[in-house]
Parts: sequence; C-alpha cells; structure tokens
Amino acid sequence: MKKTNLKVGIYEFTGCAGDALTVIHAEDELLDFLTVVNVSSFLMAKSDNVEEKLDVAVLEGSISTEEQVRHVKEIAARSKTIVAIGVCAAFGGIQGMKTGQGGWEERFKKVYGKPPAEVGNSMPMEARPVGDFVKVDYVVPGCPIDKDQFLKIFTRLINGASPEQLSMPVCVECKWNGNECLLVKGAACLGTITACGCGAACPTYNVPCFGCWGPYNEANILAQYHLLLEKGYKSDEIKTRIRNYGGTKAAELLKQIA
Amino acid sequence: MKMKIEVESLPRVEGHGGILVELDGKKVTTVQFKGLEGPRLIETLTVGKTPQEDISIVCRICAICTLSHRYAAIRALERALGIQVPEKTQLTRTLMHMGEMVESHSLHIFFLSLPDLLNKPSAVALLDQFGAEVAAALRTKKLGNLVMSTVSDRMIHGENPTMGGFGRFPTKEQLLAIKKETEELIPFGMKTIELLSTFTLPSFFESDTLYSAVDPEDGKFGFVADRLILSNGEKKSIEDYKSVTNEKVVKHSFAKHSLYNGKPFSVGSLARVNLLGERLDGEAGRYFKKVYSPRWRKNPLFNIMAQAVEMLFALEQIPPLVDKIIALKDPEFIRPTRDEGEATGAVEAPRGTLFHHYRLKDGRIAEADIITPTAQNFDDIERYFRLAAENLPDGYEGDPKAIMETIARAYDPCISCATHLVEIRRK
Repeated sequence: MKKTNLKVGIYEFTGCAGDALTVIHAEDELLDFLTVVNVSSFLMAKSDNVEEKLDVAVLEGSISTEEQVRHVKEIAARSKTIVAIGVCAAFGGIQGMKTGQGGWEERFKKVYGKPPAEVGNSMPMEARPVGDFVKVDYVVPGCPIDKDQFLKIFTRLINGASPEQLSMPVCVECKWNGNECLLVKGAACLGTITACGCGAACPTYNVPCFGCWGPYNEANILAQYHLLLEKGYKSDEIKTRIRNYGGTKAAELLKQIA
Repeated sequence: MKMKIEVESLPRVEGHGGILVELDGKKVTTVQFKGLEGPRLIETLTVGKTPQEDISIVCRICAICTLSHRYAAIRALERALGIQVPEKTQLTRTLMHMGEMVESHSLHIFFLSLPDLLNKPSAVALLDQFGAEVAAALRTKKLGNLVMSTVSDRMIHGENPTMGGFGRFPTKEQLLAIKKETEELIPFGMKTIELLSTFTLPSFFESDTLYSAVDPEDGKFGFVADRLILSNGEKKSIEDYKSVTNEKVVKHSFAKHSLYNGKPFSVGSLARVNLLGERLDGEAGRYFKKVYSPRWRKNPLFNIMAQAVEMLFALEQIPPLVDKIIALKDPEFIRPTRDEGEATGAVEAPRGTLFHHYRLKDGRIAEADIITPTAQNFDDIERYFRLAAENLPDGYEGDPKAIMETIARAYDPCISCATHLVEIRRK
C-alpha cells in the first residue's frame, strides 16, 4: 500500500483493550498499517506518541471517569473523523449493562468499601458510550471488533471513501455457514437481534449467541422477547441477557417492553 | 534536592497506568504505580447470572488474559457444581492455555519489552536491526492466536470453552495444522533465549523477594493446579488464596494492592521459573540450565528471559498434546450435579496467578471474587521503583523515568485486569 500523509491516533478508554489488541493481532497487516499512515499516538503499541491534529481518531472503551470526559473532548477537538470501535465505545459495554437501572453508587461501595471518590484528580462515574460526549462519525461494533471489518472500514476512510455500515443480524452469517438453528432447538440465542460481523463465531461452535456485538439497527427486540417467553424463559432473564452487552442501546430498545 | 520522576501514561502496556516517584535527596518520599483505568465493578455485574453468562462476562475483564479468566472461572464453577471433565476436555483446555502463553509472551518480549532493552520507542523501530526476529516473533504470535482461535472460536473472547466441555472440539485437520506450524517455530523459541541472553541487564536495584505460583499436582512444570507454592517453602490450597492475596484499597489507584504477611510479593513468569524451573525438561529444560542464574531471584527484568523459557516450554508441549487429543473421541458435555456450591479456581495467566471464587445459589452466581496477577504485583513493582530511585548510581546517564518504565513493563502488567474490581463482602 502507498504511504499517505494521514495522521491517526488510537486511544483506549475503559475496557479490556481487546479492540486495540485486535489491530495489533492483525499480524499480516500490522506493519503495513503502522507504516501506511502516520500513527501519531497509540499508547498500547509505542512510546514516541505525539498529541497533534488528527485526520482519524480511533476510540476504544467507555467513558467512566471525569478525566476521560475531558480527554475524549480534547481528542475530538483536534480530529477530523472519529471512529468508535467496540461495544464499550459504542454502547458502554458490559460495564454499562445496568445503565438506567440505578444502583451504581451502591455497587461502587460494595467494591471499594467507600462511596465514589477522586483517584488521581479524577472522579469515577458509571460507564457511558463515547458518543454521549463527542460526535462519532463511524461505529465498528464488536466485542472485540473483527479485524477484517475494521481494516475494510479503515482502508475506505484513508482513501477518502465513506465506510459502509453493515446492518444485518448474526443470523445471516449463521445461515451462510449452514448451521443448524440453535434458537429452534430451544437455546436463548440472541443472533436474531445482534449485529453481524463476527461470522456467527459462537453458533458455528454450537454455542448460542450472547449478543456481544450489541443490537443491530433494525433489531426487533419485541419479537425476540416474545419468542423466548414462548420457549419458557423468564422475562427477567431475557432482559438481562439482552442487557449484558447492549448497554445504552439495549436500555433504549427495552423500553418497548413494559 | 527534591526530584520528581513522573510518567503520566505508561506506554506499551495493557491499560492505563501512571508512575510517580518523589525524592528528597536520596530519600524516597512517594512511590506510586497508579491504575488509572476507569472502574468497571465487574464482579457486581455477575451476581444473579447463570454460570455461562458469568464465564462470558468475566473473560471480558482483559483481552490479553481472556482465556485465563475463562479457564479460572470454569475451574471454580466446575468445582462448585461437582463437574468432572474427561481427559480430552482437559487436554484441549491445556492446549488453548499453551496458545495463550505463546501469544502473550511473544507479544510482550518482542513488542512491549525488547524496545526498552534497545532504547527504542516501538517494535517498528527495531525493524532495521532485528527485522528477521520481529517477523519471526509475529509468526509465533500468530501461531498462539491460531491455537486460541481454533479452540475457542475466535482470537479474543471466544465462547467455545465453557463449563462442562466445549461446544465443538477442533478437527483433526485443524490440530495437525497447529502441530506443523509449532514444529517449525520451536527453533525460533530457542533462538529467542539466545538473543535475550546477550543483553546486559542493570543490577543497581536488585533485591530478593517472595515468589508465588501454582504447584502442579503431577510434579511437572505447568500452569494449572489446586495448590500454591511460595519461595519461603510454604504450600497452600488455592481455597486459602485470601491468606496470600490480602487485597487492600489504596488512595492513588483504581486497582487494589496485595501483601503477604505485610510484605510485597511477585507472581508471573519469573516467579514460576524461579520456583519450578528445575522441573523443566526437553529443550526448555536444557536452555533453563544454560541461562539461569541466582540474579533471576532478585531482578524483575529477568522476567522476559523467564517468558522466553516458558514460550519454548509451551511450544514444545503443543505437538504431543495434539497427538493425544487426536487419539481420543469427542466426549459428551458434562452437566452440573447440583445447583449450589462454593469454590475457587486458579490458573497461571501469562502474567501470574489468577484466582476466581464463586458461591452459587439456585444455579445463579450469588457471590464472586476475582484476584488478578497485576493486583498482586503492584506493591512489589512499587518496592522496585523505590529501590531503583534510592540506588540510582551517581552520574547515572540514563533517564530515571525510563528505568521506572522498564521495571513496570518487565512485569507485563495488565491494568485492565487489575482494575476489574472486586469483592462482594461476606455477611
């Protein structure tokens, strides 16, 4: 690939670093990636980071301290395009599964034995998606993201084309793989409402979808909910399962269910 | 004269951490290794969940140690619910664990730590001098990823290994492909040890410490057991893990710290090799005898040497494991015999001993406690910061910041792990 003058920064907020690690795991493309654009800042991979005006800022993780709110806004102010990678950045991730249900301060107390307080001049808060604080141009869903999906979107971006946002459920990929339907067999599979891109990784291994890419745009939560009720699952366990990875998006969609 | 050594964001580690060391003359007044990753309160999220949901959630604590978290959770839940898995399941789990060691160690040695030894900002900056080695390291890392993705269904957070077995076992063709690639990379495992042993490591902060690791019941070198061994000669059941880890909350970090009998201790590759290295056989055993020295007990920078020995050990384990797995028939999935129980599971993550503890009621998680290796190492890392600051040679030419970073990075810290945070109090 031809070298460009584009400046890129990759930043990690609260999460497991699995999305940035997926980029590092792209062994065949990694050295190309690091040389075809100017990677100004990538704390996980290098020391000589420069915080400057960026063409593309890639953001992983949810926002869960006041310092991170300041930092994400500071990055956005000097970046032309913002790409959110992973369900934590997109919807808050697992640490955002109880969004809207309250009780965060009590849970904090259980863990630390004291109410939330500043650490390193930074006040903790319940995890939120980056889009709650800055304008996000593109979302690459996943937990973690898929390497090929990321590289496709990234390649389009650096060539001045708009990335396409796929909007299909895992079921489509599951059918492409010729798998037997786990939902039909009675499992609480969330493939019907979950964004595709993983290649139906789990159902292909006989493991029902946990919904880890979050709900896709046209997810019919209501139909999935009633289907699982019919199969004998309890209302609470269905909602919990949808919330595990769906964060703010699941909380919004679940409002349809009284 | 007052001096401040500060690293706001430590690069080339997993997660967000900072270092602060303050001196007044030769006297160290402040030492802090700060976990600045935002809190996630993960254990509070698993309460009320099914074991399968718990396993899916807790592996998300960390992308690098994902399979170790999964494995520790599975072991704890299976002990709690009375599940015993057959040999093929056990061996396939060992295989995935070896894959994680190969992946994590090759990443840490070549991409995170080696640039320190050569005073370079990143592995890309090593390409001119060590192009062939970096390429081979990428291939080795890719093999680790291949093993993990083959067994677990994808590279990170694969859901295939679960309580009671696997959704699907890897095929013979997949396993043979792993074996072939491994056999081709074993010589690079040896070369890595030779390359690393050519570097001179600084010694001015050397000091004995206490090491802890799991102690495999078969008397061999390994990464999984239900008992612990400490370098003071003590042995403990993993059910007594709290008597070793003693977590405490500190003001400067979102990660808790651990002390054993009031003293810092270390876990990880160097702990394991110091404690169990004599048990190594094959090429790993031969190289261990060749390069091991008493300095390994005093200096955390030898951790990457220990990782190189373990990387070779893990590579050598893979071909015979593949042969044994292929010879066995796929077993049935094992279901729980009860829906209540309480137990601990421990495995060695690449960066040290990882404990998961659960109490279950009505088939749901009622209580969870997870102790990560980096949380156990924090205090010892700070102790070495202090030693390095106090004993900084007069007229030291290097950057004092760089030596602190090098010490922290040598531990291969995982700050997301350490900041998963913790503890549902017992009533």
